[in-house]
Amino acid sequence: MPAAEQPTRLIGNRVLLTLVITCLLGVGLLPFASMAPNRLLSGQSVSAWVAFEPWQLATLAGLLVLLTLAACERGLSRQTSHGLALAAALGLLALDFVALGGYAHRALAEASPTARVSQGSAFWVLLFATGLIMVDALQRLRPPPLWRALYAAVALLIVVACFTTTLLSPLSIMREFANQRGNFVDELLRHLTLVAGALMPALAIGLPLGLLARRRPGARNALFSVLNVFQTLPSIAVFGLLIAPLAALAAALPWLRELGVGGIGAAPALIALVLYSLLPIVRNTYAGLAGVAPGTLEAARGMGMTSGQILWQVEIPLALPVILSGLRIVTVQAIGLTVVAALIGAGGLGAFIFQGLGQYAIDLVLLGAIPTIVLAVVADFALQLLVALSRPSRAGQGKTT
Amino acid sequence: MIELQGLTKTYAGKTVVDDITLTFGTGEFGVLIGPSGCGKSTTLKMINRLIPLSAGRITLGGEDIATLPVEQLRRRIGYAIQSTGLFPHWSVARNIATVPQLLKWPKSRIDDRVDELMTMFHLDPAAFRDKLPHQLSGGQAQRVGVARALAADPEVLLMDEPFGAVDPITREVLQAEMRRVHQQTGKTIVFVTHDMDEALSLATRIALLNDGRLIQYERPVEMMVDPADDFVREFIGQADLGLKLLSRRWVHQYQRPPSLAPADALPEPGSHWWLVDDQGRPTALAGARLDDEDAVTRVKAEWVATPEMSMKEALSRMVWYRVMALPVVDGDGKLIAEVGMQGVMGMENSVQTPPATLASTAVRPGETAPTASDGKPA
Repeated sequence: MPAAEQPTRLIGNRVLLTLVITCLLGVGLLPFASMAPNRLLSGQSVSAWVAFEPWQLATLAGLLVLLTLAACERGLSRQTSHGLALAAALGLLALDFVALGGYAHRALAEASPTARVSQGSAFWVLLFATGLIMVDALQRLRPPPLWRALYAAVALLIVVACFTTTLLSPLSIMREFANQRGNFVDELLRHLTLVAGALMPALAIGLPLGLLARRRPGARNALFSVLNVFQTLPSIAVFGLLIAPLAALAAALPWLRELGVGGIGAAPALIALVLYSLLPIVRNTYAGLAGVAPGTLEAARGMGMTSGQILWQVEIPLALPVILSGLRIVTVQAIGLTVVAALIGAGGLGAFIFQGLGQYAIDLVLLGAIPTIVLAVVADFALQLLVALSRPSRAGQGKTT
Repeated sequence: MIELQGLTKTYAGKTVVDDITLTFGTGEFGVLIGPSGCGKSTTLKMINRLIPLSAGRITLGGEDIATLPVEQLRRRIGYAIQSTGLFPHWSVARNIATVPQLLKWPKSRIDDRVDELMTMFHLDPAAFRDKLPHQLSGGQAQRVGVARALAADPEVLLMDEPFGAVDPITREVLQAEMRRVHQQTGKTIVFVTHDMDEALSLATRIALLNDGRLIQYERPVEMMVDPADDFVREFIGQADLGLKLLSRRWVHQYQRPPSLAPADALPEPGSHWWLVDDQGRPTALAGARLDDEDAVTRVKAEWVATPEMSMKEALSRMVWYRVMALPVVDGDGKLIAEVGMQGVMGMENSVQTPPATLASTAVRPGETAPTASDGKPA
């Protein structure tokens, strides 16, 4: 952007300003927390004016002023503005948790033991707006992958610190967690096992199929039509459809039943997850391989590389960023779909969600939903980082201004 | 070195290469040329078996290439193409080392060879070794492509329009480098182009193809002087035939001793002489100007000739800088001869019978002159 343009634009970063206004409106108008006499009754709203201590309100105001300054980009370089936004966002993240935890401690000190404090919509607005401010500033600043990872680690550390200390322990969702502690770890591990157990066979089948699609144009159309059909089937329908044949199979073959295969449970969940993962993997593998320049392949053949050497030393390294993008899509997708698999008894974090829905205990639902979202976001971020690192033309180059 | 015998290629009933028989001798710079679709690229790619032949036989150093394992054959043949085909994820050094690594050379030998080749192509190893292909200019990338093709010291180098995609100035620089590399290494080269000027400036023998058939296989000057038919005449182009001939003549064939400033007397009117400094370098030219016979012209680097320069280029400099003679200098910049406008005209009288000196540059020792049978098929 030419420097001459700056004075003519009043606001440098309109996205950031919008998010700041969203924070203001959310905190001003929406309930920040709610207080209920027990876990099943719905509570009474508590506004931020009550929940925040005076110093917390002052800090909030200060951070929002800083962010507004960063959004205007007046008298600040773009780099400084984005850096300022990133720093203020970390403060906002910590403040959101500290204010909620602090209020819960104070409110429950003089209430009955069954009373519950839950987070309100203003808390969520503040949290998501903070997340978006971070993403927006990172995208504008374009730091090298390692700096991005470092910043994400700091943000994650703040969140982990809030959860591992006693700060949030009086909250209703944390009490649900305390009640389910043993279950929670089990279900989290089961969730991760299901995702990994689906991705491994999906890669083992999908990568060769992608290669086949590249090598045999005749097979390509048939392959993609079949995979497209899988992708369009609703997941619940697939789970339902698999119950009957798998139950019959398990009945016919006792050794399968001994392995744990049945109409419900992990087996149909894994089969469905693999089927859903295939299309993105095969499509991206094919696209990555097809994207290798014909001249590069001609030179490789002309210099006497064997077809195996061309595949491993040329085609796969060059296709890797696209293949990893496919893996990123299916990983995030599998983490989400595994939630639904709880319906057919496969377990996982979805178990809390459906249990909570049945009991009308919203905090139990959140105990399943929030970790799922965190898992998906972390997996997405980590694989994005891998994609960035696998690009040869970007890696050695660093930042150019 | 390479013999094509009755080479034929048919695609779905259409014959694209039709019964081509010709021989590229050892050390030959053979150019395959012709209009688009004449089968020149197909012919080239049959030599390293990127395209299988439909009929005929190709031998490399007496061995039928069909009997060799295909990867082994290709590692003996360097291959450079128009799009360079550099591996975008490998550094310049790793790209050049491709074939030596396939041949499992020891690391120290590969490193030495990479440095040697980069130096040969004027790419500073310290600066370029670790660059990725996308950080190179078109000319640099093409140099790396040719260096990679030469890396394992192949018996033969195949080049498929390697300079077709670079700008005209870079192309001339690359052509000059290719001539030099050919002289230094004595490699047998088969080079495909559709540009007659490129063919004339590089080839020791030109094979002109049309519609898949070999029309004429001849040394460049002979092809210009004695075209086989109207197609050849038209393809070469008649309008600047004289200049094209001069592009195959070299300054050392035309130079004569320089006339130096007379010690005691004034020079005769209409003559010219060179002034040299104490190291023997030319500093100025007295006379020999078209516009002013008595002018003294300071010698500039841009209009100094070298013995290896083509007469076309020398003539071009004379015209552009408006002088009747150019100083010819050696590697140290010392005046060793001069070449003049009169020389150009005088020598061209003997065009119909090419002088012996010409043959010595066009044909390498030990190579026989073309015979009627392989030069002009029926």
